[in-house]
This record gives sequence, C-alpha cells and structure tokens, in this order.
Amino acid sequence: MSGPTESIAFDTRAREKAADAFGMWIFIGSEAMLFGAIVLVFLYARLSYGAAFAAASQHLSLPLGTLNTAVLITSSFAMALAHMFTAARRWRPAFWALMSTSLLGCIFLVIKAVEYSKEFSEGLAPVLGAPFRFAGPDPAHAEFFFALYFAMTSLHALHLIGGIAVIAGMLLLWPRTAQASRARRVQAIGLYWHFVDIVWVFLFPVLYLINRA
Amino acid sequence: MSDLAKLTFAYLALLALLALTVGSSFVDLGGFNSAINLAAAAAKTVVIALLFMHLAGEGILPRLAVAAVGLWLAILFGLTLIGQ
Repeated sequence: MSGPTESIAFDTRAREKAADAFGMWIFIGSEAMLFGAIVLVFLYARLSYGAAFAAASQHLSLPLGTLNTAVLITSSFAMALAHMFTAARRWRPAFWALMSTSLLGCIFLVIKAVEYSKEFSEGLAPVLGAPFRFAGPDPAHAEFFFALYFAMTSLHALHLIGGIAVIAGMLLLWPRTAQASRARRVQAIGLYWHFVDIVWVFLFPVLYLINRA
Repeated sequence: MSDLAKLTFAYLALLALLALTVGSSFVDLGGFNSAINLAAAAAKTVVIALLFMHLAGEGILPRLAVAAVGLWLAILFGLTLIGQ
C-alpha cells in the first residue's frame, strides 16, 4: 500500500482505501435502512391481511422468480471474480468478469420485464392507472399486495439499473483509467452490487414464497 | 483455500440455499415455512458479506457500520411489531 494517492486528501494509499471502504459501507447502511423500512411495511401488512397476501402471492411466477434469483447470484459471483482478478492485477479477465456481471444484470431486468408484462396483462398491476382485477377473496388487500410488490421490485430494479450504468461507464473508461484507480472503482461498485443482490435475496422469499404448499 | 476455491464454494452454497428455500416452500410446515425462508436469506447474506464483500478482512470500521445498521433495523422492526 505505497505509492501516490488518488486524492490529495490522504497521506497514504492505505488510508485512502480505508476511507473508501468505510464510505461505501455507510452508504450501503443508508440503503439498508431504506429497503428495511419498506420491507417492514410489507411485513406489517402481511401480518394484518395474511389470507389476502397469501392468495395474491400465488399469482407471482415462482419459476421466473427462482430463475432471476439464480441469475443475480451468478452476477454477484462474476463481480466477486472481477474483484479477485483486479486484486491480482489481471486486467483482461477482470474486464470480462465485469462485462459478464453487467450482462447478467441486464438478463435479470429482461426477465423482470417479462414478469411485469404478464402481471399487467392479467390485470394484477395497480400502478400507472392500470385496471386491477382479482378474483380471489379480499381483492382490496390483494391490490395492496401488488402495489407493494411493484414498489419494492421496481425500487430494486432501479438500483440494478444504476449499478449496470456505473459498470458500463467504468468499462468505457477502462483503457484510460490508471491501474490503482481501476482497483478502487471495482472495489466500490462490487460492494454496491453485492448489496443489491442481498436486497433481492430477501425480497424473493418475502414476496414469492408465501404459502406455496 | 485459494481465493477462487473460496468464491466458488460461496457461489455453490448460495445456489444450494436457493434450492433449499424454494423446495421447502412446497412442504406445508405451518409457521416454520417463513422461519426457514428468513433463515436461508440470512445465511445467504452472511455468505455474501463474508466471502464476496470481504467484510471480515476490512478492519473494524465497516463492521461497526454494519452493526449500527443492524441495531437500528432491530429497533425499527421491534418497536413496530411489538403490538402485533
């Protein structure tokens, strides 16, 4: 950990790295509070209207949700590989691992869009003024389930789009980026990407796996 | 264990946990279904935080940040659900 720092604010590279990591973890913490509050609203509603939420949850596509979870876990694995290659200063495999990460992120979004279009066509999307039709018991609270489902998954998708945009920008600037800066940037976007993966790890069982038996 | 072996182990563990949580949701275990789902999600989070995000090797500051988030979320959830 010697050599020049990227910012004049730090005396040593080690300090700069520690400050980087701490800053990212604080940011991730604030994001965890944001998602935590929405998940709490969902849990409270589920405890209050359990039957309606269970009936509504059955209408989500479990195969697509499971597939998407696997895709996102794989993208996180690719990101971890990118970080490993960067630490070993193997830039070419690091570049391709980042490329794979962002592509898998795009695949996740495409599958999510397929799910959304299916829900819109079945009248299960009480958003953007679309009509809501639900044949089961207690349609009012089922509508609340789907409103929360769209709020939570679209907030998650927005985070994923942000991550993909940052990776794309990094890859575009990759040839012109100093090696030390590449390592710092991969470290930072890596932490963010893994966090977005963790959010989905919770959203998936909370939304898709209510009373499947 | 080499870094690559560690990451591959984490990846396979995450897929196994996913299979466990989806599989268990088809068996009616009453209230235990939700408990298993949340436990599997928590286990996945630990795997990602320790092996992908290198939380254990980052020094004390990141761990303090994570502990603070955990504390505030526990207060938020605890006080809200206490009356349920």
